[in-house]
Amino acid sequence: MKIKHLLASFVIFPLLAQEPAANPAPSTEPVLTGSIDLGYRFTSIGGSSDVYNSVVNLHDGPRLIGLQFTLTDPHHRLFDRIDVRADNWGGDPYNSVHLNATKKNIYDFNFDYRDIAYFNLLPSFADPMLGNGIVLDEDSYFTRRRMSDFQLDLFPAHRIVPFLAYGRDSGQGTGITNFVSDVNVYPVADNMFDKTDNYRGGVRLEFNRWHATLEQGGTTLRDDQDAYASGFNGGNVYQPYFGQMLYLTALSQAYGVTGDSIYTKALFTANPLPWVDLYGQFLYSQPQTNVNYTQYDNGSLVLLRSLLFYTGEQALGYSEAKQPHTSGNLAFELRPVKRVRVRESWMTDRLHTAAAGLLTDMIVQPAAATTPSLLASLLAVNYNQEQVELLVDATSKLTLRGGYRYSWGDAQEPAPLLTGGGQESSQLRQQAGLAGFHFRPIQKLTLNADFEGAASDHAYFRTSLYNYQRMTARARYQLAAKLSLQAVFSLLDNQNPTPGVNYDFLSRQNSLSVSWTPSKRVTVLGEYTRSTLRSNINYLDPEFLSPEQSLYRDNAHSANALIDVALPGYAKLTPRLAFGGSLFISTGSRPTTFYQPLARLSVPIRKNLLWKSEYRYYGYGEIFYNYEGFRAHLLETGFTISH
Amino acid sequence: MRSNSAALFLLLCWPAGAQTAPAAPAASTAPTVPTYVGSQTCQPCHEDIYNAIQKSPHGQVDTQKHRWEHEACESCHGPGSKHADSAEASAIVNPAKLTAARTDRICLNCHLNQPTHIGRPESVHARNQVACTACHSVHGHGPNGLVPRKAAAVNELCAGCHTAVWAEFQRPFKHRLPEGAMSCVDCHNPHGSIFQANFQSYAANEPACFKCHGNLRGPFTYEHAPVRLEGCGACHEPHGSANPRMLARAEVRYLCLECHTNRPAAPGPIKNPPALGGVPPAFHNLLSPQFRNCTVCHLKVHGSYVSQELLK
Repeated sequence: MKIKHLLASFVIFPLLAQEPAANPAPSTEPVLTGSIDLGYRFTSIGGSSDVYNSVVNLHDGPRLIGLQFTLTDPHHRLFDRIDVRADNWGGDPYNSVHLNATKKNIYDFNFDYRDIAYFNLLPSFADPMLGNGIVLDEDSYFTRRRMSDFQLDLFPAHRIVPFLAYGRDSGQGTGITNFVSDVNVYPVADNMFDKTDNYRGGVRLEFNRWHATLEQGGTTLRDDQDAYASGFNGGNVYQPYFGQMLYLTALSQAYGVTGDSIYTKALFTANPLPWVDLYGQFLYSQPQTNVNYTQYDNGSLVLLRSLLFYTGEQALGYSEAKQPHTSGNLAFELRPVKRVRVRESWMTDRLHTAAAGLLTDMIVQPAAATTPSLLASLLAVNYNQEQVELLVDATSKLTLRGGYRYSWGDAQEPAPLLTGGGQESSQLRQQAGLAGFHFRPIQKLTLNADFEGAASDHAYFRTSLYNYQRMTARARYQLAAKLSLQAVFSLLDNQNPTPGVNYDFLSRQNSLSVSWTPSKRVTVLGEYTRSTLRSNINYLDPEFLSPEQSLYRDNAHSANALIDVALPGYAKLTPRLAFGGSLFISTGSRPTTFYQPLARLSVPIRKNLLWKSEYRYYGYGEIFYNYEGFRAHLLETGFTISH
Repeated sequence: MRSNSAALFLLLCWPAGAQTAPAAPAASTAPTVPTYVGSQTCQPCHEDIYNAIQKSPHGQVDTQKHRWEHEACESCHGPGSKHADSAEASAIVNPAKLTAARTDRICLNCHLNQPTHIGRPESVHARNQVACTACHSVHGHGPNGLVPRKAAAVNELCAGCHTAVWAEFQRPFKHRLPEGAMSCVDCHNPHGSIFQANFQSYAANEPACFKCHGNLRGPFTYEHAPVRLEGCGACHEPHGSANPRMLARAEVRYLCLECHTNRPAAPGPIKNPPALGGVPPAFHNLLSPQFRNCTVCHLKVHGSYVSQELLK
């Protein structure tokens, strides 16, 4: 190529020499590079399509599987470079786009968009009538969440970076929710819409010895939910109540929630001396909401507290809630001598929710007195933590670590109404010892362990971490140039011996992974994990207060593998075949199997054209709920065109 | 060059030295202090790396006045004159072979004073001696070459160490990470955070969960305290679960009853109970399918705007 250019220049040179002045040669840098991945998916689904949609939700049709391109401007006018990537468009349940545009020393712009569909309809989850063969699809939904984020960083000076950002998170969908009317519960249709807009801006000051980030932001919230019904709805309780059948004939229930918040963020780091690093942050937010609630319902209904049967009810409610939330952190790292580091960190997190409002409930048929009730509550949480750690590089190959953490706090929340209302409070007092080491005896072997053991005087909840040991150990060995192994062991053992609680929780995970390249043409990646979970805790049966024990077990095998093989090539083009997939098999409280084998074939047709096909199988089964199983074959085939 | 001069000096001095008492060798054993030679010196032997760096964000180090101007390579590898003279690998600092702490110091020389590192003292990675170079490819090519940006590539990088966590994502109910719709860094800040498990924050100090689940952010008139005190992980297994809705128990009632029990039978306000969340005796007969999933009635389990019992 270079010789060609040289010859050409020799030929052209005499001609150019006659001209008074030659224009500079245009840049040969490509302006647009990238690839587009188009395909078609065929599916064959057997078993429960509702559960398939809840777990996988991939269907037939043409797809834009991926798109990736870079646009560069050799003249650097509006931008130096724009990178765009997009994935899974054309009907898939998760679509994404990302765009990054930069101009050196002027700006950096990022845009991110995601659209994720959530479908959830599991008959076993919330269908009290299932045993009678009636499936009312209770507590199911189909929503889409769309998230957009824009951020613009400006570089007016080398060390001062102002930034502006905007984000929107919105959700919209339908579902089936329940209308609870004292004795009976009625599955009803539901519309949901919510959106949160987030605006923020600030400045980063980045100097050699210190940095500060100041950010001010705000959000606005809108959350509308409508539940409605018309026609006879017998609900979940089919038995007469005091001789009278209960049913719903009409419902209109609406929540109109608006909210906003301001928030402030101030971050600071510095290294005033070569042996000191300082860190500090102050975070404050104050979200608040205003709620309008309306409810109209008709049918044969009962008011439990006065045993009043009625046919029409109206309720109107209004409430406001505020939640000032302050967090702060100060920390430093000292390096008094070369091999020793001391890390000290203190943090506080204070959150108070205060709410007040009024709910007016009126029985309109037969006419009865209006019952106003005050809506008011207070939740207060104060959390503090102090931690110190000492890290010593005992040798160039061994680092030892030890430390101590003390966490303390208190919380208040409304007590249940049946206990007389008011507030109940609890405390947190926890002391934890920290230890660990990192050992690299030879370049190819790394051993690492992290241990945390704690004892508590108080904890907020019965299942909170109380007296616990948490440990992770990891070994990584490069057995040969092309073979590396990794083993990971992790454990969490939490005990709360308080009489009546007797919580015994043990979670253990053992994992082994291998990366092997036996030849230039073959790569093997594999991973196996064995996880076991045991949880025992005492509780009282709510009706008879008889002591019971909640037992939960989850013992699982998980494996992932992918073998990638470069097939014999032709015309300097190399087809590739990859196969493997994952499996999950569990026993215990909810025995489940989930298989996802796959095979991929990519065959280059020309230098810039690739034919790709992928086959996947999804097999899902549950022993206790075998009607929820499904099997699906997916074949996706298409072309990747690159430029 | 230096060794040739020393040899010539030795030859000239030898006769004189032979006539007198043995003298100390003339400065030949004194260690030479390495000096900076500039990135251009590195280019001929390390052309591919040099070219890659020029197109990466680290390329701007070469243009930083008053700091590392024209010395981008030596900003990490230290002064390179010895290595340039001898071409020996041992004559220059190789961050890949240093302890994690020393490697990190090299990176933090420039990067400490940036907002991403504000949570470093609490960082699980820093605590476990995971060096910056474990994730960042310092010689990476192109503006996005230092670390993966695409969600699937980020997940692959994290899964390389966190194999057991990645195994949880192979369970049927999980966040959409294996599909590439989300990445680990959507929820976790690998550089560290004051929140547990290097958790990201949203709107200053709220959990990152609310970035996508804004409708559950509240504040609610009636909060469900564990959401605020212990986070979503009190009931959900966010990496993946065999239980619907990523719940931590196979049936909802057990998840609820493990906390909501043990209240003394006598009604009345309870001061300093052993734990929050106890409830008084109720008419719920757990043998009835109606009461097996508490969220059939207590719908607003994340918090309610109108009902203290979270019924509507």
